[in-house]
Amino acid sequence: MAMKPKTFAAGAGLVWRRQRVLWWIYAVNLALGVFATRDMVERTGSVLNHSLAAGRLLHGFSLAAVIELLSRPDGPLTPGPSHLFFMLLFASFMLFATGGVLAAYYRDERLPAGSFFEACGYHFWRFVRLIVYFGIVLLPVGLLEFIAGKIYDRIDEKAISPFPAVWFFVAAAVVIVFVLICLRLWFDMAQVIAVGDDEYRMHNALRRAAKLVWNNFGSLFWLYFRISLVGWLVFGLALQYWKNYMRPESLFGVLLVSQFVIVFWLATRLWQRASEALWYRQHQSAVYESAAGPAPEPVPTPSAAVLF
Amino acid sequence: MRHFGQAMILMGAVALAGAWGGEVSWHARNTQSPGTIKTPSPAAGGGQPLSTRVVAYNIDAKFDPAKHTITASETLTYRNLTGQPQQTFPFHLYLNAFQPQSTFMTEVRLYGTRGNGPDEGWDPKHLGSITVNKLEVEGAGDLTGKMEFIQPDDHNANDRTVFQVTLPKPIAPGASVQFRIDFRDVMPEVVERTGYKRDFLMAGQWFPKVGVWWKNTWNCHQFHATTEFFADFGTFDVKLTLPQNEVTGAAADLLSSVNNPDGTKTLTYHSEDVHDFSWTASPSFTTVEDEWAGSAGTVKVHMLMSPGNLSSAPRYMAALKGSLKLFDEWYGPYPYSRITVVDPPHGGSDAGGMEYPTLITADTSWNMPKGALIPEVVVEHEFGHQYWYGMVATNEFEEAWLDEGINSYTEVKVMDELYGRNTSVLNFPFAQLGEDEQQRLAYLSRPDTDPITRFAWQFYGSNAYGGITYGKTATVLLTLEKIIGEDTMRRALHTYFMRFRFTHPTGEDFLKTIEEVSGKNVRWYFDQAVYGTNILDYEILNAHSDRVNWYEKKSSFGDDPKDKDQVYRTYVSVHRKGDFVFPVDVEIKFTDGQSVLEHWDGRDRWIRYVYERRAKIQSAEIDPQHQVLLDRDVFNNSYVAEEDPQAVHKLAHIWLFANEWLAQLIAWIT
Repeated sequence: MAMKPKTFAAGAGLVWRRQRVLWWIYAVNLALGVFATRDMVERTGSVLNHSLAAGRLLHGFSLAAVIELLSRPDGPLTPGPSHLFFMLLFASFMLFATGGVLAAYYRDERLPAGSFFEACGYHFWRFVRLIVYFGIVLLPVGLLEFIAGKIYDRIDEKAISPFPAVWFFVAAAVVIVFVLICLRLWFDMAQVIAVGDDEYRMHNALRRAAKLVWNNFGSLFWLYFRISLVGWLVFGLALQYWKNYMRPESLFGVLLVSQFVIVFWLATRLWQRASEALWYRQHQSAVYESAAGPAPEPVPTPSAAVLF
Repeated sequence: MRHFGQAMILMGAVALAGAWGGEVSWHARNTQSPGTIKTPSPAAGGGQPLSTRVVAYNIDAKFDPAKHTITASETLTYRNLTGQPQQTFPFHLYLNAFQPQSTFMTEVRLYGTRGNGPDEGWDPKHLGSITVNKLEVEGAGDLTGKMEFIQPDDHNANDRTVFQVTLPKPIAPGASVQFRIDFRDVMPEVVERTGYKRDFLMAGQWFPKVGVWWKNTWNCHQFHATTEFFADFGTFDVKLTLPQNEVTGAAADLLSSVNNPDGTKTLTYHSEDVHDFSWTASPSFTTVEDEWAGSAGTVKVHMLMSPGNLSSAPRYMAALKGSLKLFDEWYGPYPYSRITVVDPPHGGSDAGGMEYPTLITADTSWNMPKGALIPEVVVEHEFGHQYWYGMVATNEFEEAWLDEGINSYTEVKVMDELYGRNTSVLNFPFAQLGEDEQQRLAYLSRPDTDPITRFAWQFYGSNAYGGITYGKTATVLLTLEKIIGEDTMRRALHTYFMRFRFTHPTGEDFLKTIEEVSGKNVRWYFDQAVYGTNILDYEILNAHSDRVNWYEKKSSFGDDPKDKDQVYRTYVSVHRKGDFVFPVDVEIKFTDGQSVLEHWDGRDRWIRYVYERRAKIQSAEIDPQHQVLLDRDVFNNSYVAEEDPQAVHKLAHIWLFANEWLAQLIAWIT
């Protein structure tokens, strides 16, 4: 089935309508980020808050000052295990929340908090199983990356000019990114099927998702690719703005631009998920219409305080 | 030699940006330049030798690029100017260092080396060797059987980087002796500045070289992981036979190029008043030429660029000409009529960042951003060695700080002048790094394991050697400017260069020149900074203000800022944390805008200043002019009474962003 022409925009509209999903996930991302940063703030503060040398970091950005801070025995800027912990915690949260997020997008309605978390819990172990499958299919990608690295080294070693290796690297990167987007598309579709059709057998969900993605590859890939492109474009533009137009002393500006990037980056990922959920719902409707049967009823949701 | 332990600090930043270099604006070609063929020209100075010529090398060499071998015969004429009869002569065979059980490799295995060296494991491609097939001495016949490998530094019997030969009878003072040596080199894949990479060859330290009679004894050390070279001045006449498609460069004037019927060509080179001869060849070089007019005449610049790097040529040229100009103005004339810059190919950076008399190797990459001034830094540094090593030919084995350290100091001065004080290494809108900061960071990486004056191979490790020899020496000399002044320091270096060029001075020669020119006794400083391992670290231990009438109950609202009659007693305690005694200035600022500048000789462990004023303390700062770069911790040099968390907030915002973004990337797998 061809993608409905407005899925790209409709997906964005869906994220906008259900923007509480975005803001709550952002809040968790922010909170965990703050937790991860708190220790650094305390340790760095004890060195910088009463020192005139702090001006080297405020008025401009002296790399030497950063390196000196990094190399101090008390290591105020050295990343610790807590940073990784909070990052993994966020990833775990996203794994948990995906069921609720997809339910909200698939049904396109404001889910009560109870329903949202019920959907989260309901699908959690299914998605854990999917992650295991995902890890398995990533192994060949890792192998591909390893082989590409070896070929790159060989070309770089043999070629008189550096450019054959550079072009090979670019080509290999394009292929690997392409494969990764395809895999994500496939597994995202499997998650949508699990939520939309209450499919509890993940290998079935993956099989059906593979068939769907294969049959509609061009339109679905283009959908994902465009959204990724928008995300990277805004990321790049924000960095350019940060680099070229912001005064070094503009603390509020740094906060505003950096958090805008974070929210937008998160929004593009949700945009992909919303678009795919929307696409799948439209696909299901088309299938049932062509079979002259009634469209399936959405999974009922219990009433509770409206959260999302 | 550029120490890349320091430069690695910068390399990460290079990957962050993607600016491309400029375009080559002058003629570039990939053929041997006929314009470089010339009749031998005596060095500036009316044809009189600039140096005491002890050696005269005459080498006839044939290069086989397929096998990476050089087969040669060398005739060395040695003048005995030692003032005493000499019967035993030591020779360096540097290429034998690149063998698994050599002293060099043993040390590399212990504490690493730069670049793609064999730190992790032995790879046969790094094998290098130089074999003496025959050694004859004029009037004494074949003495090949008399050759004896010696290991004066570590008694490692497997090290074959030095041999000696004892003649049947001594050579009288003032007499000469002629050695004829047939040898064969097997060049390694580039390691420690010499060897091949694909079709590129950098031939450095490739021929048997006699030791130096110095301090009344032979000085001929083994080749170590951290050592460089030491040799006598003289003349070099070298014939190179190699395939006709090779584009070459050498540390000499090209006198002739003759094509042979077998597809090879023979190039004849001559140089004088130098202590080494190196050369390079590759069919893939593109030649770029220019010239520069200095106080000693015109200098021809011969640049050999590797594929993909041509966009860096204008950057090399600008840095080179800027360095030629400033060295000429500040320290003394560049007397040679040429300088050759060799750009190693990609993957061959182990050949980059090296100095030979009138030939230097540079370093860049095809995607070098404009804001990363690595090509400029490397060219400036290696050119600086023409003065501090090339002409002022100090002993790099025993006093490496005199070439690398002084050169790192002048690198700071020249790069700052050419590219701006705080932007002379990295100049991106989002991050900057100055030369003085880079040298200081190198010093901080290993500030106290060894004195600067230690023999190069006796440092704790390669990091200590690099950090102290390069970074600490530069930082010591920058801090010395606070005592004697920048202009005096420049005059001292000028005097040192003019007095000791074309000789082998010692560290004491350098230090005494500084004292003489400055007219100051700074031995107390040299004893700590040069000969000692003392750490310099001062801190504001405590700074606060207290009401003089503290025993009277104050307002429940605290101090009344409008009460201008309130008198405060302010205490500022300065602490010398390290064992390095150095006089420092301390500036105390008060809330009424007034300030006081104190001077402390630093001899006691601490000092307390007390003031009674109608204002409270605003800040106290040690070394307010930021001249004492040797101070290990600059963050504790000041104290601001009112907490200012802005810098921390800025860091926190960036840190927060990084954490959130990375968390989202990890969450992508879910």
